[in-house]
Amino acid sequence: MTPPLVTPPLLVPDVRRTSPRIVLVHTVTFKQARQLVPILIPVGAGFGFSGGWTTIVILAVAITVISLAAAALSWWRFSYANGPSAVVLTRGLLSRSVRTVPNDRIRGVEVEAPLLHRLFGLVRVRVDAAAGAAGEDEEVVVDGVPRAEGDRLRIAVLTHRGAPAAADDDEPEPVEEELSRWDNRWLLYAPLVGSYLAIPAAALGALSRVFDDLPGDPLGDVFDVELPAAWALALGVLGGTLLLLVAGSVIGAAIVNWGFRLTQRGTSLVAVRGLFTRRHTELEIDRIRGVSVSEGLGMRLVGAGRATALVTGLADAARRGQLLPLGPRAEAWSLAHRLTEDPGPLVPHPAAARRRRIVRAVVVGSVLTAGGLVLTVTTGFWELLVAGPVITVLGVLLARSLYAALGHAAGPRSFSVRRGWLVREQIVLERRAVIGWQVKQTVFQRRDGLATVTACVGAGSGGYAAVDMDAAEVPAFASAASGGWAGTLTP
Amino acid sequence: MTTAPAPVREPAWQLPRSAIGLWTVESAISTVFLWLGAGAFLLFVPASAGGPVPVLRWVLPALALLHTIIAVGIRPSVKHRIYRWEITAEAAYTRTGWLTQTWTLVPISRIQTVDVTRGVLQQMFGLATVAVLTASSQGTVRIWHLEHDVAQRVADDLARRAELVRDQAT
Repeated sequence: MTPPLVTPPLLVPDVRRTSPRIVLVHTVTFKQARQLVPILIPVGAGFGFSGGWTTIVILAVAITVISLAAAALSWWRFSYANGPSAVVLTRGLLSRSVRTVPNDRIRGVEVEAPLLHRLFGLVRVRVDAAAGAAGEDEEVVVDGVPRAEGDRLRIAVLTHRGAPAAADDDEPEPVEEELSRWDNRWLLYAPLVGSYLAIPAAALGALSRVFDDLPGDPLGDVFDVELPAAWALALGVLGGTLLLLVAGSVIGAAIVNWGFRLTQRGTSLVAVRGLFTRRHTELEIDRIRGVSVSEGLGMRLVGAGRATALVTGLADAARRGQLLPLGPRAEAWSLAHRLTEDPGPLVPHPAAARRRRIVRAVVVGSVLTAGGLVLTVTTGFWELLVAGPVITVLGVLLARSLYAALGHAAGPRSFSVRRGWLVREQIVLERRAVIGWQVKQTVFQRRDGLATVTACVGAGSGGYAAVDMDAAEVPAFASAASGGWAGTLTP
Repeated sequence: MTTAPAPVREPAWQLPRSAIGLWTVESAISTVFLWLGAGAFLLFVPASAGGPVPVLRWVLPALALLHTIIAVGIRPSVKHRIYRWEITAEAAYTRTGWLTQTWTLVPISRIQTVDVTRGVLQQMFGLATVAVLTASSQGTVRIWHLEHDVAQRVADDLARRAELVRDQAT
């Protein structure tokens, strides 16, 4: 073999293996055998599926055996080791692959325990490496270690990272402080949140498709009754659907967020949550550049909000960065202000910004009305003519609340921007987060003395904009919200 | 266009005049395709097709002509006036755009990579584009159409200075 040319060999102590119990879990979930499905289907088609029960039983047994064999093989060929400088994963049946992830490239460790894993007392450890947008199989995952070993691995990896820890052992637990704890009353907010409503809505959609596929027309027969009963039935169906949506969203929110708890442990934030799959996510406070507090349309009615940390170089940041998945607005803000300094009250944007939005609404409404007028005269289709003015009025109302959402503020160490109507999102970012400014001005903005200023950030969505702010304020805002280099913008 | 003062300072340096030639050639090429499309419409859609077709037979060529005049005759020189760039002691700064103008500023300490690219047309005019990339997907400064040797020098200089002053870069 070739001698190590570039780096001295990484100090790797004992090589460890995952628990053999994981073979059972993977057999049941067809974890490895899933890849064989594209091969199995043509094979099955070749033999024919028409052989009745015996064929089905034989197929089921064969698939289970294949799954067991595949799971056992991948367990047998998988090993991992975590040393003082790197995590090393070895796997692969014929072509061995060895992945070495240096500890200082590790940005976080997530310990999750899906339901089956919990039955067997196992967890899955996901190491988040700074390798850019890695694909699914590029992820560093140690699947199936006992809970204690999972915790050991997490603590070992995180303490070896960064500053060389004096005490190697996991015993000196850093101080823990609870920042937020889930309150089950917050589940009542769920029916007003779009993303939670989407779950039961999708399920209902799938169900209606099943009804369509049923032989005959059961719904048609049901509807084939005299008028008053049909009305009552329609009301009942509507009420039932609403009830299902509400119940489904509450249950969905409970499954994901059950027992959510956010604690600060030393220099990290630890979030634990989930009813069936317990997830344990760790964020380094030093990498948090800011916080986003968002409130959907329905959430604003009841004063609910959610808070997400904006973390640099975090894969799947929208889920992993969650500080408060759903809760009262005040709670979201108190968390946000713990992590970033409050930059003070927002400055509203000039009246020209409101005019722009109202003009847009009126133009759209007028075009519709004019089109409706033409249609009424030529074809007698009058509905659009009625809809036009209604849309204009609604558009103007929307324009006003779109304008009301706009705002920006710059404090001594942080700044903030806010926008949005369907989801109103306010961002608070530290000054050091800004890695560039983009100022944009359309012809119309130039006429109105407005400009859109985007703070480019290496976290979250990559950029956050103060839309339609006073053009004259731009240089001052940019200088106040970032380093001295932004003085380049000052005329 | 009115002459309201720009919201921020203008970058100091202009692009070389050969950029006008490049933009003109680019516009001419896109115009050729536009005329091919309009010609195909006139050839293959019969005038008797009814609906809006008789009107479109006049409107489409008129629009193509208008686009040609603006894109080939006016836009290149307007762009040359608007596209500006500057490398200060601390930052790379550009103004781009035409009707919508965009100013982009990136501090040298946050630069991650500097690319120089030369497109086929750019090579004919001896030009190159310098792209300054940061950790943010939106924080990219592109200095279009510099003379090739200038672009190379700028890129080398930026890369060297980024190395010296680099802080966390995120």
